[in-house]
Parts: sequence; structure tokens; C-alpha cells
Amino acid sequence: MTALRKFISFVDQINYRIGRVTMYGIFVMMAILLWSSISKTFFNPSLWTLEMAQFAMVAYYILGGPYSIQMGSNVRMDLLYGGWSTRRKAAVDCVTVLFLIFYLAILLWGGIDSTAYSFKYGGERSPTAWRPYLWPIKVIMCIGITLMLLQAISELFKDILRLRGEEIDNVV
Amino acid sequence: QSTIKWRMQTYAGPALAEHVVKPAIDMFNQIAGDKMQIELFFADQLVPTGELFQAMQRGTIDAVQSDDDSMASPTEVTVFGGYFPFASRYSLDVPVLFNQYGLNEIWDAEYSAVGVKHISAGAWDPCHFATKDPINSLEDLKGKRVFTFPTAGRFLAQFGVVPVTLPWEDIEVAVQTGELDGIAWSGITEDYTVGWADVTNYFLTNNISGAWAGSFFANMDRWNELPDDLKTLFRVCCDQSHYYRQWWYWGGEASLRVNGPKMELTTIPDAEWAQVEEAAVKFWDEIAAESETKAKVVDIIKKYNADMQKAGRPYRYG
Amino acid sequence: MSYEMIAIFMFATMMAMLLTGQRVFGAIGFVAVIAALVLWGDRGGYDIAFSSAMKLMKWYPLLTLPMFIFMGYVLSESKIADDLYKMFHVWMGGLKGGLAIGTIGLMVLISAMNGLSVAGMAIGATIALPELLKRNYDKRMVTGVIQAGSSLGILVPPSVVLVLYAMIARQPVGQLWLAGVVPGLMMAAMFIIYIAVRCHLNPTLGPALPKEDRDIPMSEKLALLRAGMLPLVIFAAMMVPFVNGWTSLVESSAIGALTAFLAAVVKGRMTREVFETSVRMTLGISCMFMWIILAALAFGAVFDGLGAVKAIETLFTERLGLNPWVILILMQLSFILMGTFLDDTAMLVIVAPLYVPLVAALGFDLIWYGVLYTITTQIAYMTPPFGYNLFLMRAMAPPEITLRDIYGSILPFVLVMVLALTLVILFPDIALWLPGWVYGN
Ligand code: NA
Ligand code: NA
Repeated sequence: MTALRKFISFVDQINYRIGRVTMYGIFVMMAILLWSSISKTFFNPSLWTLEMAQFAMVAYYILGGPYSIQMGSNVRMDLLYGGWSTRRKAAVDCVTVLFLIFYLAILLWGGIDSTAYSFKYGGERSPTAWRPYLWPIKVIMCIGITLMLLQAISELFKDILRLRGEEIDNVV
Repeated sequence: QSTIKWRMQTYAGPALAEHVVKPAIDMFNQIAGDKMQIELFFADQLVPTGELFQAMQRGTIDAVQSDDDSMASPTEVTVFGGYFPFASRYSLDVPVLFNQYGLNEIWDAEYSAVGVKHISAGAWDPCHFATKDPINSLEDLKGKRVFTFPTAGRFLAQFGVVPVTLPWEDIEVAVQTGELDGIAWSGITEDYTVGWADVTNYFLTNNISGAWAGSFFANMDRWNELPDDLKTLFRVCCDQSHYYRQWWYWGGEASLRVNGPKMELTTIPDAEWAQVEEAAVKFWDEIAAESETKAKVVDIIKKYNADMQKAGRPYRYG
Repeated sequence: MSYEMIAIFMFATMMAMLLTGQRVFGAIGFVAVIAALVLWGDRGGYDIAFSSAMKLMKWYPLLTLPMFIFMGYVLSESKIADDLYKMFHVWMGGLKGGLAIGTIGLMVLISAMNGLSVAGMAIGATIALPELLKRNYDKRMVTGVIQAGSSLGILVPPSVVLVLYAMIARQPVGQLWLAGVVPGLMMAAMFIIYIAVRCHLNPTLGPALPKEDRDIPMSEKLALLRAGMLPLVIFAAMMVPFVNGWTSLVESSAIGALTAFLAAVVKGRMTREVFETSVRMTLGISCMFMWIILAALAFGAVFDGLGAVKAIETLFTERLGLNPWVILILMQLSFILMGTFLDDTAMLVIVAPLYVPLVAALGFDLIWYGVLYTITTQIAYMTPPFGYNLFLMRAMAPPEITLRDIYGSILPFVLVMVLALTLVILFPDIALWLPGWVYGN
């Protein structure tokens, strides 16, 4: 069981730190969009702002995803769930989190394939006039999805420990 | 024997697809009957346009209708598909370039190398500006945020145009939300057909290309699995689609310029527009310097235009 | 298996998955990838989930989502709305039910500053609710007032729900926002009439403030009126450049977020704690939305790829031979019904892709339907057992408000909203007049 605990603490710590940094991404997006309106009003509009803001948004929600799980922000339908005991919740979650893990694994599979493509043929570029290479954002997405997968596994381990009657203290 | 089923995604949204692809696919399905059925999907419906090419390589999508440029195909010819500035003056130029001047062979080799079958290229409409504010001089182009093709955007940037690429289906909304000042993506027929004429006010009669090149593609394995009669039928239907566009655009452009109620026409004087045409020739040389294949295509385009010039009227005036 | 059967199977599986209480995005995403693998697994299909992420990236109006969420948290956490509340307190307190009416006014102003109902709910529950209870207002009445009032946040522009709808229906956000103005104000007026009538008939529900409470000098009263300027400033900073075409929609949302942030700083309310909470909660709520949208996009792509929408349309119009109006009303009813047991965020992104193409196929105006959609969403937000507003209320209300009170409080307000919905259905001009006038068609 100490192995499970080690895994949980390792993954949760990493995701917590990444999430704490990522949350300031809101100001990055804001700055890009403000620069976009300033450059449009006072000089020639910048080519890169909209796409850059989109990259920032994707990095924001994908890298921030695991931290949002830790915070419990991801809504669940609690028509039945809400009324269950902690133990019962843990037991059901142990099974249903496998569905979540499966979804994330397929998401990652497509992500890795698409990222591999972005390195082929001299590097995939966005079909825009700015033509940024797409591998950086795709790599970030793959890392984020992997971290999300690890966080989901960590949640599974926590439920296993709960079922064994052990106490779990959250990082958040 | 079970029916062969293909999924095909087009670059066009439903309103435009009603003309540029649906009639041909309906015909195909009607004739092929139980042998084969193609399900048609519109712009970004199954996968976003940026992921279209790889989805076709993997076989998630069996066939695609698009220009090479907007789906960013990983080939040397991508810059020419779509609007390569001033490469063509009339829509008939495109099939001649492909069938008689050797572009078909180059395209075939390029796409075979990346596991995709290039089935057939056709001419689509000319490229004009549709904008909220009038354009009467090159000066008016400065600072305009315009939805256009990547290569056309690269070319137009030297005149101060700010090219913006967004999902095709979002363009009408983007003009209204202020993300765009205009569109340089089509002729006036499409402006009216897809609703862009409702959100812009002016149409510039000068164009940067007389007709673009767009193609039908298929996943190589799926194509090879087809029996010969279905391959032939598919090609015939592609040609039917190309033919439909020849008269639909040609007649539509003239008719809407003369009778269309929604857009006011403006023109940049020929003498001033000549700067753009000169810049295009320089742009051709820049592109030719990028690779051997590109140089080969540029040479063909140059030779073709020189021939047309020598042939005189009605091929070229002046 | 026919397409209709697969579609029904996918939908039923998703519902079952949601009932297990797993995170909504996990449930939707799982059904989407399984369906893609089963249907298309022999040739690709595994890439649909990820290509949805690329699709989402290209949906540029989604950039407004984190901006409006941040704006809402800054407004509610920094309590810069306190003065606004005091303004309504002293100016309206003398009327029977006046504080409740003032609270609706407060909600309208807050709605004009943010795109979700969260901020209105938080401000209402933390500022207005304790005051109203202290003044012996009926607890059910005030709980209902705050829930109903805060739901205006998604109808009065800016509105995140209408941005999402615009993306799905491919309709201009500007026109949709304008279309929400008159119905939003009409609904606020209907809430006010309801409160005024009930409190007039039974003054114990909302007693007038005693004179000594209201007896403050005119100069102070006028100073409080100035507080009412703040939302106008934020609203103007955001909307004026947008309407004039100086900035785009997403740029305006960033300007709005910055203005709200600066307003809190200038008023000295941007403490370390407020800052930390706003930034953290914005990440949490944005992630919740984005991951659900991501999964729902994959679900939609597979569903769409099946031709399911077409199958459903054929089922209704040809096989059942229903009149378009009957279908429309059935759709709204099913929407409200779903809202009683389905999480509303999920509902928002699942219902729209299903219904909007059908509405378009039936020949209805999609701007008008956007307003119907939003009002129905508002109702669903409030109807038990599931409702975003219900949950927020439960989390934020003081302990003397029980769950029973919360559930019991919403009935009259839901009836008022259904009446408003009916009016907009019968008289489409309520919604369409303003955008028609501004855009001149
Ligand atoms: Na609002
Ligand atoms: Na509900």
C-alpha cells in the first residue's frame, strides 16, 4: 500500500505545482488579446495574436485539467451519487474511473499519432499566413493528457485505499 | 456482396456543398446503388480541416474534396492548390494545365509518396475581395484583416493585408464579431450562396486569380480496393462536378455583378493593379527557389501563360 | 443495426454512464470513443477524440469563456457590488417588497457585467440574502428572488450560454446578444411585478423598511447612486469598442475582464486572498467547461457521422408526421424535463447540437431559437433536483435556509419564466426587434 501512497503523492504534487503555474495563464490570454486590440487600433494588426491566444487557451485547460480534478471542479451528476456514503462512492468510482481512464487513453493515442504526424514531412505548420509549427502545442497537449491520465489513476488508487478504510489527505 | 461504404468530407459548408459536391455524390450513389454508397460530410463536421489530411491517411475518412493549401497537405505542390496568385485567368486554364501541361503527373507523384490518391483536379471560382468598407486603391488594403488562403495570404501581406485563417463555417460570424474586415476567398457567386454578401458591403472586381485549383482525393488503400468500374464511375462524377462549376461560376459571376442587389462593386485602376501583378511574378520566383518540384510547376505555369499570350484573343486580351 | 438504433443506444448508454456519478466529461467521452471504435475501428476512428481537441482550439469565441468567468469571480469575490446593493437598499427599501425588487435590479446590473449566473448568485447569496433575512423577508421569497435574478446573467448580454449557442448554431453572437436584451428586461420586469403583487397582498413576505433605517441624508443617497455607475463603466468599456468595430468580441471580453480587475484594485478590494481565489476558481470552472465541451465534441462528431440528426428529423417529420410547432414545443418540454435530471452544463452542450440542426431543418429562425434555448436553460438551471443555481444556492446560503426551502422557493419564479418563454414563442418580435433595428434588416 505504501507504493500506492507514493504514487498518489508523487502525481498529486506534480499536478498541483503545474496547475498552480497554469492558473496564471488567464493573464497570458488576457495580455495577448489586449495586445491584439492595441496593435489593431494603433498600428498594423498583429498576425499571430488570435492563434497564439488559442494555443494559450488549449495549454490552459489541458495542463490545468489535473489540478481541476484535485479541486473537485469537474461536475458529476449526483442524482444517485450525491446520496451515497463515502465508501459506496469509492466502490462505484473504482469501476467508473476505468471508463474515464479508457477515454483519456484513446485521447492520448490520437494525440501521439497526431503529434508524430506534426514532426513528419519537415514539420507540420498551421495553414495560416503566420504558419507556426504545430508540434509545440501538440506536445504540450500530449503531456497534459498524460498528466490527466496519471491523475485519474491516482484517483483510482485513492478510492482503493478508501475502500481499505485508510485515510486520504488531499494536497488541495 | 456487401455495399462498399465511404465517408467523404468536403471543405464546403452545407449551403455551398449543395452546388460544389452534393449533386455529383448524389449521382454517384444513385448509379452505384447497392455496390457502393458515399456519405458526404461538410466542413469540420467529422474532423477539423487542419486534421483532414492525416485523417484520410489513417482511413478515418476515405475521401476528401479540398484544395491542397487549406488542408495543408504535406507535399511540394500545396502552395499551388488554392489560389496561386495570377496563375490562371479563366476557369478553363486549370484543366488545361493539369491535363495538357503535365500538372496531373506531378500531383500524382507527390500524393502517391504520402499514401494518398490524387483523383482529379478541377477549376473553382476566381478570388475577389468582399469587404465591409470599400476598396478603391491599394492603400485601402492596408491593415484589413481578411480571411483568405494561406498562400494568397502570404502574397497579399506585402500590401498590408493581415491574413486570418478561421474555420470556414465561422467566417460569417467572424465578420460580424469584428474578427474580420473582409474575405478574399471566392468570387461573388459564393459570396451570395454562403451568406457572406449579407455581412459585407463591397465587392472588388480586380482578382488575384481567375480560378483556383481544388481536387478530389482518396486514401490510397481504399482507392486500390475499388473495382475498376467504380473507379471509373467516381472519376466520371468528379468530372461532372468540375463541369457543373464551370458554368455555375462563370454565369453566376457575371449575373451577380450586373443584377446582384447586396454588394456594391469597386475597382482599383488597371495601372495601379499592375503593381500587384508584377509582385506576383516575383512571388512565383520566390516559390520556385524553394524546391525543384516547385520550380518545375512554376515553369509550367510560366510557359502556359506565355503560350496563351502568344495565342492572342480570345485567350488573352492586351 | 439501423442508425436510429445506434443513436438511441449511444444516448441511452451516456445517460446510464452519467447516472453512475462519474465526472460528466468522462462519461460522455467514454461513450464517444467506444462508439467511434466500434463503428469505425477497422479504419481509424481512434483519432476522433483528439481531433475534437483541435476543433475546440479553432473555436475562437471560446476564448471569451475564461474571460467572463474571471470577470464574474472578480466581481463576486472582491465584493465591489456591496455599494450597489446599498444603493438599492436605501432607494427601494420603503416599498413593500422593495428590497426584493431592488435585488432584482442589482441582478440586472450584475448580469450586464458578466456572462454566467455564478457571479449573480454569489453576490446575491452573500450580500443581499443576509440583509433581507435580517429585515424579516420571507426566506423562501428571497431565496427564489436570488436564484431567478441571477439566472438573468445568461440572457442579458454578455452571455456565455449564447456564445456557446452561437458556435453550435453558427449564428452571429452580436445579434444573439441583442436578441436577449428585451426578453431579459421583460423577464426582470415580470419578476418585479410578481414580487410587488405578492408583497402587496401579504406584506409579511416583504415588509417595508422602517423610516429610521431609510432616513439618511440626500447627499449620501446621491453618493450611493454613483455606485450604480460602476457596472455601466465596465459594460461600456467592453461593449462600446465592440459595437463600434474597434475590437472583436474576444478582445472585448479581455477588456471587460481587465476593467473589472482594475475596478477592484482601484476600490482597494483586490486583496491577496481575493486574487488567489479568483484566479484559481477561474481555472477550475474553465477546465470543467472545456473538458466537457471536448468530450461532447467527440460525441457530436460520432453522432453526426452516423447521420443521427437526419434520422431523428425523418422520424419526427415524416414517420410521425408532426407539425413543426408541435415538434418545437415538444423539444422545449423535453429540454426542461432533461433539465430536471441531467446536469445543465452537459445538457447545454449535448442538447444544442441535437436540437439546433432540427430547428433549422424545420425552418425556424435560429436567433429567435437562441433566446428560447437560453430561457429554457435558465429554467433548467433552477428546477430540482439538478440545477446549477440550486447547487450554488445550497453551497452559499446560510444554514437556516434548508434544501426544502430552496426547492420550494423556485416554483412561482419558474412559472413566471415559463410565461416569459411562452410570450417569446408567441411574439418572436420581443426577441427579434432589437437586433433587427440595430442591424437594419
Ligand atoms: Na450577462
Ligand atoms: Na434542473
